[in-house]
Amino acid sequence: MLIPARLVTIWAVLQLGILLLLQQAFAVWMMALFASMLVYKLITHLSGRPAIGLKLVNLIAAVIAIALMFNLRQSGILNFMLQILLLAAICRLLALKHSYDARQLVWVHYFLIGSCFVMHQDMLVALIIFFAFTVNLYSHFYLFAPSAVKVQWHQTGRSLLIILPLWLGMFLLFPRVPPFWQIPNAKIASSGLSDTLDPGSIEQLVRDDSLAFRAEFDGAPPSQDQLYWRSYLYEDFDGRRWQVNAVRKNRNRMPNITATGTTDNMQYRIIAEASRQYNLFALALPSKVNNDVYIGSGGLIKSNKPVSQRISYQVTGANTLIAQATDNERDINLDVAEGNAETLNFARQLAKQHSTPAALVQAISAHFNQQDYYYSLTPPMLGSNSIDEFLFDTRTGFCSHYASATALILRAAGVPARVVGGYQGGVWHPQQGYLAVRQREAHAWVEYLYEDQWHLFDPTAAVAPERILDSLESALTLEQQQMLMSCWLELELLQNLRLQLMHLDYYWSVWVLGFNDNNQQAIWRNLRQHITLIAITFTTLLALIFAGFVFSWWRNRPLNSTHAATLLIQRQLGKLMQSKAANQSMSAFMRQLSAQHPTQHDWLILLTLSYEQAVFNNDTHALKSLQKQLKCNSKRLKILRRSIKNT
Amino acid sequence: MFNLNFKQRLYQRYWQFVSNYLDKRQPAGSAVTLVQKLIFILPTRYGWWFFLLIILMYLLGTNYQNNLILLLCYLLLSVFLLSITMCYLNMSGLTLSTAKPAEGFVNSDIEPEILTSSAKQHMMLQFSLVQHSQLITMAQLERSVRFSFTGKERGRFALPRIKISSQYPFGLWRAWSYIALDQIYWVYPTPMAQITKDNDVDIDDKPQSTVQSGDTLTPYRPGDSIRHMVWKRLARDPFNPVVRQQLTSPQAAPNWVVVPALTGEALERALRQACQQLLTLEQTGKRYGLQLPHQTLPQSSGSTHLQRCLQELALC
Repeated sequence: MLIPARLVTIWAVLQLGILLLLQQAFAVWMMALFASMLVYKLITHLSGRPAIGLKLVNLIAAVIAIALMFNLRQSGILNFMLQILLLAAICRLLALKHSYDARQLVWVHYFLIGSCFVMHQDMLVALIIFFAFTVNLYSHFYLFAPSAVKVQWHQTGRSLLIILPLWLGMFLLFPRVPPFWQIPNAKIASSGLSDTLDPGSIEQLVRDDSLAFRAEFDGAPPSQDQLYWRSYLYEDFDGRRWQVNAVRKNRNRMPNITATGTTDNMQYRIIAEASRQYNLFALALPSKVNNDVYIGSGGLIKSNKPVSQRISYQVTGANTLIAQATDNERDINLDVAEGNAETLNFARQLAKQHSTPAALVQAISAHFNQQDYYYSLTPPMLGSNSIDEFLFDTRTGFCSHYASATALILRAAGVPARVVGGYQGGVWHPQQGYLAVRQREAHAWVEYLYEDQWHLFDPTAAVAPERILDSLESALTLEQQQMLMSCWLELELLQNLRLQLMHLDYYWSVWVLGFNDNNQQAIWRNLRQHITLIAITFTTLLALIFAGFVFSWWRNRPLNSTHAATLLIQRQLGKLMQSKAANQSMSAFMRQLSAQHPTQHDWLILLTLSYEQAVFNNDTHALKSLQKQLKCNSKRLKILRRSIKNT
Repeated sequence: MFNLNFKQRLYQRYWQFVSNYLDKRQPAGSAVTLVQKLIFILPTRYGWWFFLLIILMYLLGTNYQNNLILLLCYLLLSVFLLSITMCYLNMSGLTLSTAKPAEGFVNSDIEPEILTSSAKQHMMLQFSLVQHSQLITMAQLERSVRFSFTGKERGRFALPRIKISSQYPFGLWRAWSYIALDQIYWVYPTPMAQITKDNDVDIDDKPQSTVQSGDTLTPYRPGDSIRHMVWKRLARDPFNPVVRQQLTSPQAAPNWVVVPALTGEALERALRQACQQLLTLEQTGKRYGLQLPHQTLPQSSGSTHLQRCLQELALC
């Protein structure tokens, strides 16, 4: 059976769409190759040329598959599987002739569309993917329907009405199971902060306007200057850049620490975007988290696998200081690298003047505040002794410069200190009740060790307090703001639209993406709690419907003008009555029946005679004998009814 | 039966069993409407693959703990379940009824026809006769369905069960039904102007002029008269008896087609010749009658008379 021509066009366009959606899994040369094959197919198909022969297509497919296998190590298993699937689909489309092949093509399309969801979870793209699914379903329908038929919209509407509750009901109530086995994750570049902190890395990150995570609080949110989200601890300094210590990289879990003292216990939930990293976000000292994430060393929350799709987790924590875990920490954080001699001198001077770390920190803060220090998004480039140049020459820097310099000064003065990377602040949306933290809130600050506890110190607060109290824009000069804005593509109208879409996206995350077995159990629990209420509503509904039926039956019941004997016969004959003509009398009909069925003739005639006596002579004896006869012959009547039923 | 292998025999018994079941459920009638009791529905092979797709999606969604993939999986499942109803509704409500019986000759095409009617539209129906290979696909319902097959044996036969099947909405489920209509078809003997032998039985006062022509010799077939056997050749070759053919001129009695009381192959030959005679007589427009061993059809003419005569020949 031949395939309608427009279906081939639909499939080619659909495969192009899937290629675009899965672009993260494909290298540039693969995308170009596949796109060119699809465009070639579209052109040849539209100009009417027949499909390519199977042998040639197999050859091309084999060559490309070998090329993909060479690329396997670079791509990773998941991407490789997607590439092979799409290659198979494209080659099948190129050689498409029979409808049997087309069915397999539609099948593979469904699978590819499903795998698109691995890469994208936000609402707009999800809607696009669902649209692609509808297109595929449409082509599936036309594969089995005559091409002259148009889709009947009212029938489709009715089917949709039935599908929607069935579908959502299954989604809400079908049991959820934890993952069966480990699956390969997409190997793509990570976003956000990383394991190394170069001077200039946070300035780059800040230009990105994408969402990092969202936070909801039980109760009122903390004030802006308390929102320090810790993500990375940088403890290794080599003179220029900071790095995460090897100890932090292994998967130690901290024992669940309960908050000591009467400090506030915070409860909040974070919905983190896909960053393909292990590190997540927390305020101060978390004590309890969900099962998918764990509290690692240093009070950081980490995920078991790289965060490749949006996840959400609950945190219970306290706004207290992080305790020192091991003695090793002290040693690591006192390590002063080579270079930056002026800074070390300066530090030693300060140490002589101030004995306690608190006083030291105050002095550094005062130094930054009173001297000419500037906070800029585009600080000048620094040479080999970067801290020296920053502190005494350029005096212009971003948060990472200040934090880096402060940490070095403290270390040189004998106080263990480290740079903490993460996010500070965020935009609170009061109506929707969540805090949106974007990459532009990326920040670096310092923690120093005193009396076995790590204390927070943010040098930026001394230089540009508006950054902490308000947000980044208010701390920059006008021209820098404009530069930042242009990166963020702000347009008044679009801004509003973007905001609304972000709120919708938030609800989407919470209700659809965040729906897990806990929510499901909550639904079941609710159902069970209100089971009596539900039962009562259900029975009243049923009773109402039943009453409606009874009412309509009562209205439509036949009037009692027919004789009892006739009613009796009618009831017994049942479906046989259908072959009785309207103007034919009952006795004539019964005689006709007996003539039609000669084997049943005798008792039918007897029945007819009794009936006539009963009706026309008004004979009660005859009526009684009619009833008796009907009872005796009920089995034969049954056989008669059944034999005529299906004709 | 013995030359059928095991599989074919098994299939015969299976079909016997199914026929009995179907006869009880739906005895032959003149107009049959497809109702729930008569329609069977099961997934097609593509439907099973689709189910496998749903399972794979479920595994994918569960392993990635991705709600969107699970949503898609449940959507596919809903479509799968809804298409059962759609497939069933596409079949039910169709009414088949009998048309006039089909006629034909042995080794020629018989084309029985059945009438279809329905209150709604039915798509992509496939009609076939059970144990025949022809498949008629109707994209949209037409008024009648015409089958075609070759007649093998002469006689009057009941139309075998009609299998109606459809995979309409998405090819995931197949709904089918076996319907028996009490319709018959006639297969008449092939008209063959054949040189037939003089037969032995005395036909009452029908003078026949036989022309002896001893040139044509044919092998003996059961039913031939022994009187015309060539004994000399038999002595030489006992296993290949040969008979001398006799020519007969057309019967002197005007326009009576006679089928003598014979059996076996000779009867068949006589019937074939009678058929040919009937057809030629009808063409000439004369009145003719048929004389059979147990029955006589008086002389008449016209297409109905021809049909009756042919039917008697078929039943003979």
